[in-house]
Amino acid sequence: MRHGYGKQFLAVVLAGTLTATLAACTKKDEVKAEKTDVGVTFDQIKLGEHTDLKANLKFLTHKTDIVDTTFKDYVSEFQKMYPNINIEYEGITNYASDITTRLTTGDWGDICMIPTTVDKNELKNYFINLGAMDELSKEYTMLSNYSYDGKVYGIPSMGNIQGIVYNKAVFEKAGVKEIPKTPDEFLSALQKIKDNTDAIPLYTNFAAGWTMTAWDAYIDACATGQADFAQEGRVKGKNPFADRGDQTGPYAVYNLLYEAVSKGLTEEDPTTTDWEGSKARLNKGEIASMALGSWSIVQMKEAAENGDDVAYMPFPITVNGKQYTSVSADYNYGVNCNSSADNQLAAMLYIKWLIDKSGFDVNQGGVSIKVNSEMPEFLKAFDKVGLLYDVPVPKGEETWGNDVNNESELGINVSGGMAKSVVEAAIEGQPSMKELADQWNEKWTAAQEKIGITH
Amino acid sequence: MDCGARKDWNHSLTVRKRGNDMNTKRAPFNFIKWIQSGKVNRRLCMVTFMLAPLLLLLVFTYIPFLKMFQFSFYDMKYIGARKFVGLKNYSEVFSRKDCFQALKLSGYYIVAAFIQLAIALWFASVLSFKVKGGGLYKGFMFFPYLVCGIAVGFIFKFFYTRGFVLDTVLQWFGFNLDSLPYWLKDKSINNISIAATSVWRYMGQNMVLFIGAIMSVDSSLYEAAAIDGASGFNKFRYIIFPSIKTIIVLNMILAITGSLSVFEPPYVITNGEFGTGTYFVIMNKLAHVSQKVGLASAMAIVLFVLILFATLLQKAGEWYFLGIGDQEAIRTVRRQKKQNRQREADNR
Repeated sequence: MRHGYGKQFLAVVLAGTLTATLAACTKKDEVKAEKTDVGVTFDQIKLGEHTDLKANLKFLTHKTDIVDTTFKDYVSEFQKMYPNINIEYEGITNYASDITTRLTTGDWGDICMIPTTVDKNELKNYFINLGAMDELSKEYTMLSNYSYDGKVYGIPSMGNIQGIVYNKAVFEKAGVKEIPKTPDEFLSALQKIKDNTDAIPLYTNFAAGWTMTAWDAYIDACATGQADFAQEGRVKGKNPFADRGDQTGPYAVYNLLYEAVSKGLTEEDPTTTDWEGSKARLNKGEIASMALGSWSIVQMKEAAENGDDVAYMPFPITVNGKQYTSVSADYNYGVNCNSSADNQLAAMLYIKWLIDKSGFDVNQGGVSIKVNSEMPEFLKAFDKVGLLYDVPVPKGEETWGNDVNNESELGINVSGGMAKSVVEAAIEGQPSMKELADQWNEKWTAAQEKIGITH
Repeated sequence: MDCGARKDWNHSLTVRKRGNDMNTKRAPFNFIKWIQSGKVNRRLCMVTFMLAPLLLLLVFTYIPFLKMFQFSFYDMKYIGARKFVGLKNYSEVFSRKDCFQALKLSGYYIVAAFIQLAIALWFASVLSFKVKGGGLYKGFMFFPYLVCGIAVGFIFKFFYTRGFVLDTVLQWFGFNLDSLPYWLKDKSINNISIAATSVWRYMGQNMVLFIGAIMSVDSSLYEAAAIDGASGFNKFRYIIFPSIKTIIVLNMILAITGSLSVFEPPYVITNGEFGTGTYFVIMNKLAHVSQKVGLASAMAIVLFVLILFATLLQKAGEWYFLGIGDQEAIRTVRRQKKQNRQREADNR
């Protein structure tokens, strides 16, 4: 009898807890997080004020490599000024795709790096307005990526410069005396490296996938010398990938890769490249060059003992006798619009500290986003190069870039799919670069028409 | 009038209930007694214990599935407004070249699955009998199944790298490195290379299932067969195979549905490049790179219907050729009927 009673009791308790959890679940669903308004903007807050603020912040980052080292130091340094603000970092390996799904829950943390998948007109539903574009641009540059309607929603963590990371010693050993300035010069330099040294002239890092997006970053300002090419030429222009015939423009960038692969100037088997290992191999001179943004320099220098050999050159395209490079924003910091006002204020203070005081930008191979900041030491080769900053996209066209990109499925700056298809085609020997470009133009034009862009 | 009738009905119900219940005597209604009574209590227990698995099933399988079904009718991204487009996504799935092109790759995996089943069956029938170090062999062959799919992908990425494991081993056997293909780059063999990894991974698991089934066969049958002078193959053909056909068909269904929805190996090893993008890899790319969530959901639903269809087809085949459970196969039944009829005709 007692035994039976126990069973019944258990059953009732189980049923009770289950219905309770079920009820709790549905309840949580009903309460939609309310947006809070902190009432101050990024330009108004000053470091050193609000030092008694208490907050626990959660910071989602793509920088998994320094979560336990550099970021820990930053937090303890920051806490000297704000002892009651605690920051917990969470590194996400597959950041670009994971963060998108997490954002939709609204309850992801306080600070994150805004993914490219958030369209500009959606920014206000996820992030707080950090201030007016007019005010903030007096102090900072490169704000246009995540601003909408004159309001800024994201502050870049640093600026990136686009070029090619290479091993100086290998280039010298191969007999390349001057830094190549055009695609042809670059190809002949790679050929010399192949003939005179054992190094792999150009390592694609094809297998890692995301590394291939570096090629997409060259096609706009670097390849054309126009700061607004991304919007005016590529998004709105007619057949942007067509051959211009003068070794400039997007075609010239991908053609350089096509030629390098088909002439055997890249690694033998792109499907088995190894990203982590490639850093040390470039450092040691087993790899001569790689196409990557300036953020990679520091990692290459630190990968092995020949850090001094690692150098950076502008992308080898010359437009009317001059080389250009784009200075563009890396991931932007965004603050959750559903966090409490205290957390939002604390988050803004920490972001301000990161930009003004931490030295994160230069340490990570970037340039500071502050107005009139100096170029770091390792970008010496860029003193004669025209620096082109991102220009704001005209009002009403803010979402076109993403829309056309998604609709056409080319994945520019997202998947590196175009550069990958170039490598694949060059190995197979078909389709030719011209046919590839025609396919892209066709998809691009169809997408433009669907979005409603007319030429 | 109406009210009275209902009362009457209620009354008769309670009377019937009480009449059925042996434990409670005719006493005023007591909730605790009622809930403790055998029948109610048993049902309560049943419901309570089923609630947990059902809840998990509902929350993690059916609700997401229904949501996906709903998404498949929308033009939507993960973030931003959704627009109802009806069946447009479905018509796009059928009109796009890459979707069904990718399904052709499943052919490689289906062939691999049959090879895998054959090897597993062979090992199982050998290892079910006393073999020296049999446990060790079983352990070694089952081990790959325990490794997570992503890790398997990374293992094979290095395994197939030029001049690494596979090439080195082949060179020991006298192959020349220059005459060997690039296992993942060469489009004529890279799908075979990748399909081979899933054979490596799942063969052991299939084998263990087969061994379990073979173990359940009555051993006196083998003895009787041995007395009759049956060879090893005859034993397999007439004793083992008919006894485990259900498990074989089950494994086949699992292998074929698995082949239609391959994702991990090509995603991890080649990221779907160089012509190795299976249906799921393409779907993943559309959803996460091009943000076409509606289209990708429609692709998933189409594949779901295809898999359902393939499974039904296989079930029908099993029913016709092998028979389900103790039931004779339809084919044999028909044949017997035909023979009977013929016999009757002859007698006449």
